[in-house]
Amino acid sequence: MLKLSGVTRRYGDAVALDGLDFIVPDDTYVSLLGASGSGKTTLLRLIAGFEEPDAGELMLGGERLDGKPPHRRDIGFVFQNFALFPHLSVEENVAFGLRHRESKAVPAGSDLNDRVNAALDLVGLTGFGHRGVGEISGGQKQRVALARTLVTEPRIVLLDEPLGALDANLRARMCDELRAIRERLKVSFLHVTGSETEALTMGDTVAVLANGRIAQAQDSTSLFTQPANTAAARHLNAWNLIGGRVKGRTLDTAVGALPISQSLPDGSEAQLAVRFDQIGVCEPDQVPAGQDHFTARYLAGEFNGPTELSFFRADNGDLIQVVNHLSNPRLPDLTEGRTYALHFSPDAALLFEGAA
Amino acid sequence: MNTRILRPALAVYTAAFLLFLYGPLIVLAILSFQSQTGGPQFPIQEWSTYWYRHLFGLTETSRISQLPVGDSLVRSLVLAFMTTVVSTVLGTMSAEAFRTRFKGSGPVFYLIILGMMVPGVLVGLGMALLSNFAGIDRAWWGTAFVLHVVYTYPFAFLVMLAIFNRFDRSVEEASMSLGVSPAQTFRRVTFPIIFPGVLSAMLFSFTLSYDEFSRTLFTVGRELTLPLSIYGTFSVEIYPNIFAFGVLTTLFSFTLLVIYGVLMKRFTASRAGRFSGQEEAA
Repeated sequence: MLKLSGVTRRYGDAVALDGLDFIVPDDTYVSLLGASGSGKTTLLRLIAGFEEPDAGELMLGGERLDGKPPHRRDIGFVFQNFALFPHLSVEENVAFGLRHRESKAVPAGSDLNDRVNAALDLVGLTGFGHRGVGEISGGQKQRVALARTLVTEPRIVLLDEPLGALDANLRARMCDELRAIRERLKVSFLHVTGSETEALTMGDTVAVLANGRIAQAQDSTSLFTQPANTAAARHLNAWNLIGGRVKGRTLDTAVGALPISQSLPDGSEAQLAVRFDQIGVCEPDQVPAGQDHFTARYLAGEFNGPTELSFFRADNGDLIQVVNHLSNPRLPDLTEGRTYALHFSPDAALLFEGAA
Repeated sequence: MNTRILRPALAVYTAAFLLFLYGPLIVLAILSFQSQTGGPQFPIQEWSTYWYRHLFGLTETSRISQLPVGDSLVRSLVLAFMTTVVSTVLGTMSAEAFRTRFKGSGPVFYLIILGMMVPGVLVGLGMALLSNFAGIDRAWWGTAFVLHVVYTYPFAFLVMLAIFNRFDRSVEEASMSLGVSPAQTFRRVTFPIIFPGVLSAMLFSFTLSYDEFSRTLFTVGRELTLPLSIYGTFSVEIYPNIFAFGVLTTLFSFTLLVIYGVLMKRFTASRAGRFSGQEEAA
C-alpha cells in the first residue's frame, strides 16, 4: 500500500501539491484524473523520487519513501514519451534493469534471457527482441517501455499519460491490455491521465486531482454518478454547474430560482449540478409536470458519432451542455438561436455548498 | 531571381571559395615535389621526392641540415593528447553540471568561455610572468599544458553543452527507476548517447592544441613544440623540406578526421533508427 500524507510541493510561489493525502491500495488499478498543470506529473515524480516534497511523507508498505534515491525505491515508471534507451535493442532495453541494477542484478545468461522473453511475451512482442527501438511503431514502443518496467517486478508501477502518444484505436486496445497485464501480475498501477474517459475506463479506483489535493477517490460508477464536490464534477466533463444563492428552499441563480432538496442557511452560496444526459429539452410552454426547468438559447450541436452534444447559452452567459444518444434520442429538432426550456427531474440534481 | 542562373552562379562561387581556401595548401603541396636544386618557389625544376627523403634522412648528407622536428612532433602529439583527455573530461563534467542550472551558473559560464576569448599572447605572457614569480620552470608539459587546457576546455564545454541541451533527461530517470545507480546510469545510458558529442569535443581539443602557437610561445620553456620549431627554422632559410613536412602533417590530420568520421558514422548513421530516439515524441 502506498500512502501519501500531507504532501506539499511548491515551485517558487506556485503550489503544485498542497497537503495532499492519498492511498493506493495493493493489487489495484488506480487512475488519477487531473487537468494539465494540476500537478499530476509532479505527484508521480515525487513518488518515483525524481523530486522531493517540501512537506509531508510518502510510505510504501510501512517504509518511508521520501529521501530515498529513486534507484532504491523499487518503483516502476512508464514515461509518456516512453524514454526507451535509443542505443539499445528492444531486448537490451528490457534486460537493462535486471542486468545493471544495484541490488539483485541478474548476470547475462539463460536466466536473464528467459525473463526478458517472458516479459516480451507478456506484452505481445514475441520475436521483436532484436529490433532497434527506432524500428518499431509507437504502440510497440509503449509495450517495450512497459515490459522494461514490469520485468524488474516493481512494488508499484506509475504510468504518466501512457496512452497520450498513441492514436485512438491503439489507445482502446492498450487500455484492455494494460488492465489484463496488471491483473495477471497483481501489482498496483497508478495511471495518470487528463482524459476522463480513460480514467473511468481504466481505474478500479478513480481519483480526481484538483487544486493540489485529491478532490475525490472512488470507483468509476460512484464517481461519475455521485461526484462529491464541484471540483470532481467539473473534471468528469459530464456535469453542468449552476451557481447561486440560497433563498428558503430555492436556489436563486442567474437563470432563475430553482428548487433545492436540502435546507441550507439563507444567503449561502451553492452550486446545482445536473448531468449532461439528464437534461431534457422542450418548448418553453411545454415543460412536463414535476420537472424543474430553466430557459436557455440553443447555440449549436456537435456530432460525436454515437452521441450528440448540444450547447445552450443561459441568460448570464453560462454554457449548458446536453447530451443526446443517437440510438435513443430524447431531444426534439432544435433551431439555432431559439430559446428552449431545459428541464430535469429534481432527483437528478446534486447540490454542492460553496462558491464556484 | 531565376534558379537556372542562380544555381550555377552559386556553384561557381562555392568552387572559387573552396579554391581560395585550399589554394595555399595546394601550392605548398606542389612545391614539396621540387628537386634538390630548386628553391622554395616556382618554377618546378624537376619533379622529385627528394625533400621527402631528406626529411627522413634517407639522402646523402647535404649542405642543408635535416629539419629538426622529430622530437618536437612527438612533444606536440603527446601534449595534444594530454590536452584532449583533460579538456574533454572537464568539458563534459562542467556541461553536466550546467544541466542543473546551479546558483551562479551565469557568471561561471562566461568565466569559462573567457578562456578562449582572451588574446593568446597576453595569457601566454601572463603565465610566463606568473611562473617566474612562483619559481616554476616553464615546460611544454607544465605551463604550456595548463594554457592549452584553458584554451581548449571552453570549446569542449560548448560542444558538450549543445549536446546536453537536446538530451532527453527522461532516459536517465527511466534507468534509475529500474534500480540502476546514477554512476551506472551515466556509464550505460548517458555516455553512449552523448558519445558522438564527446568525439567532437576531442577533435576540437586535439586540433586546437596541436597547432597552438601564441600561448605556447612564452610558456614552453627550452623544449619546443612543433609549431614553434617550424617557425624557428624560418629564421634561417626556407627549403622545400618544410613543405614536404607540411604535406605529411596535413595527411595525418586528414587521417584523424577520417577516423572521426568513421566513428561518428558507426555511432549515428548506421544506427540512425535507434539514435533518432533522442528527444523523439517530445
